[in-house]
Amino acid sequence: MSKRLIKLILFYLILVGLWQGLASLKLWPEYIFPTPVGVLKTLVTGFEDKTFIIGILISMKRLLIGYGISIVVGLCVGLLIGRIKTLDETVGSLVLGFQALPSICWLPIALLWFGLSESAMLAIVILGSLFSIIIGADTGVKNVPPIYIRAARTMGASGLQLYTKVIIPAALPSIISGFKQGWSFAWRSLMAAELLYVGLGLGHLLMMGRELNDMNLVIAVMIVIIIIGIVVDRLIFAKIESRVRERWGLV
Amino acid sequence: MTDLGLESGQTEELRNLHELKPSKIIDIRGAICPHPLNIIRDTIINLGDREILQAICDHEPTAKENAPRLCIRRSYPYRVIEKNGLWHIFIQKIEKTQPRLRVLNVSKVFKTNHGKVIALDNVNLTIQEGEFVCIVGPSGCGKSTLLNLTAGLDKPTQGEIWSNGNRVSGPGSERVVVFQEGALFPWLTVIDNVEFGLKLRKVAPEIRRTLALDYLKLVGLDEKFHNSFIHQLSGGMKQRVALARALVMEPAILLMDEPFAALDVYTRETLHEELQNIWIESHKTIVFVTHNVQEAVLLGDRVIVFARNPGRIKSEYEIDIARPRKIDHPEVFLNTKWITDDLKEELEGQLQYKTNEKEVVYG
Repeated sequence: MSKRLIKLILFYLILVGLWQGLASLKLWPEYIFPTPVGVLKTLVTGFEDKTFIIGILISMKRLLIGYGISIVVGLCVGLLIGRIKTLDETVGSLVLGFQALPSICWLPIALLWFGLSESAMLAIVILGSLFSIIIGADTGVKNVPPIYIRAARTMGASGLQLYTKVIIPAALPSIISGFKQGWSFAWRSLMAAELLYVGLGLGHLLMMGRELNDMNLVIAVMIVIIIIGIVVDRLIFAKIESRVRERWGLV
Repeated sequence: MTDLGLESGQTEELRNLHELKPSKIIDIRGAICPHPLNIIRDTIINLGDREILQAICDHEPTAKENAPRLCIRRSYPYRVIEKNGLWHIFIQKIEKTQPRLRVLNVSKVFKTNHGKVIALDNVNLTIQEGEFVCIVGPSGCGKSTLLNLTAGLDKPTQGEIWSNGNRVSGPGSERVVVFQEGALFPWLTVIDNVEFGLKLRKVAPEIRRTLALDYLKLVGLDEKFHNSFIHQLSGGMKQRVALARALVMEPAILLMDEPFAALDVYTRETLHEELQNIWIESHKTIVFVTHNVQEAVLLGDRVIVFARNPGRIKSEYEIDIARPRKIDHPEVFLNTKWITDDLKEELEGQLQYKTNEKEVVYG
């Protein structure tokens, strides 16, 4: 483990070193090829004057509201599609179709319907994550071993109890995978949408960097976006997923 | 005339059973095959309620052991009297007002892409309280279908199933099933699995826990596994938990669908022993489906042999061997052989039939 860590640290040190070396050759002007030091400085000032913090909070707020709505709606729809054949054959096919559509393709519709506004951002986040969550829940429900349901029924479970006590717990690994995928789709589409919208989000900061020809800012914001993505994906979702899979005996 | 004093004697009426007028007298001297007990049993089937059978018998074990055991098991009053080297067995048939399970003219037809498959064809079966009934048969004979119908997980195409005086219309916790494997919930710990059904019944948490612990102890699961998850258990331990989970519901009938089929021989033998002990203690009504004849003979009071195409009851055996039975008991061996021969005859008959069919095709 520590050997792996050493390798990783070495790799990044070399990478940054090469970058710094290349930059100090001054082959390109700094607005095209920034230096690591410059990026670091921008990062520090960005956090000091709270521009980055505000950007992160605003983006996160949009993401959490939209993602929250997606979870509630997606879970309900997915659980129903998984159990009711008619719904699966009708709504299910529609969901599969929409899932094939890259979520950023919802942007034109969102802009036309809601204008360049908070609601449009929200719509993008919801539409970006909703279908993954529906499909995760749907697959989970469809793959619940029928014997669980039969066993529960002979012990007297019926109706809603079957859902809450058997189907949802049994489908949880798949539901979590859907949440994870939904999150990353929502995150990606929000960043894309914010590029167009003057609303202080991280995407807007990125675009501001371009408009000001401030390459340091562009790279700094990109680093922040990457780190947030990794933290949420690796530290939150991957942890939950592996714990659930272990407990369910799937590993 | 010697009164052997073998009797169930509870009331004055029973004391004088041999002085009452029997409604049927049978003479089974010299009977070997079928076994005298089987003749007695088959005769009782056709008797009405409270009618008395007098069997004249020269087979001592039948008079002194087998017949009394049969009567005790079914709670029939009986009296055995020795006269001139012969035994007179008096048995009064008492129809239980409510058998635990009644299967009446049940048929089940499945529609498949290849047409209709008759899984069960007009099956009739009555199971009394406290009976341990094993159903054996080749795969596809409808034995598991019957279990599913009894559990209420499926509906018969024709006929009715009555459990405890109520018509079966859906699953219910008075008919709990122990499945072959993989029916335990992996997201719950062992103890939570056992408490699952009680929780549905809204039993208070403390009582739930006490009951679950009692039954886990009964099935012999080591305490250190109580908080384990299911995938951490061996196959044998899983089935112990499954048994505890079913027994804790205190079902009127315990349905078991090849519960030990996936276990290795050693584990299976241990579980046979445990199940027998549990049954001896509790006299639960158990319907046990298996394709293993030896297992059926080892466990059952009655073994019902199913035949396939269409699925139906072929024959029935009364297994009258003292419990707990051991696998190397000669009578277990003999009964196993008889029933296996019976099954083989059935399968060979079908093979014959198929060969004939081929001859027609090619001829």
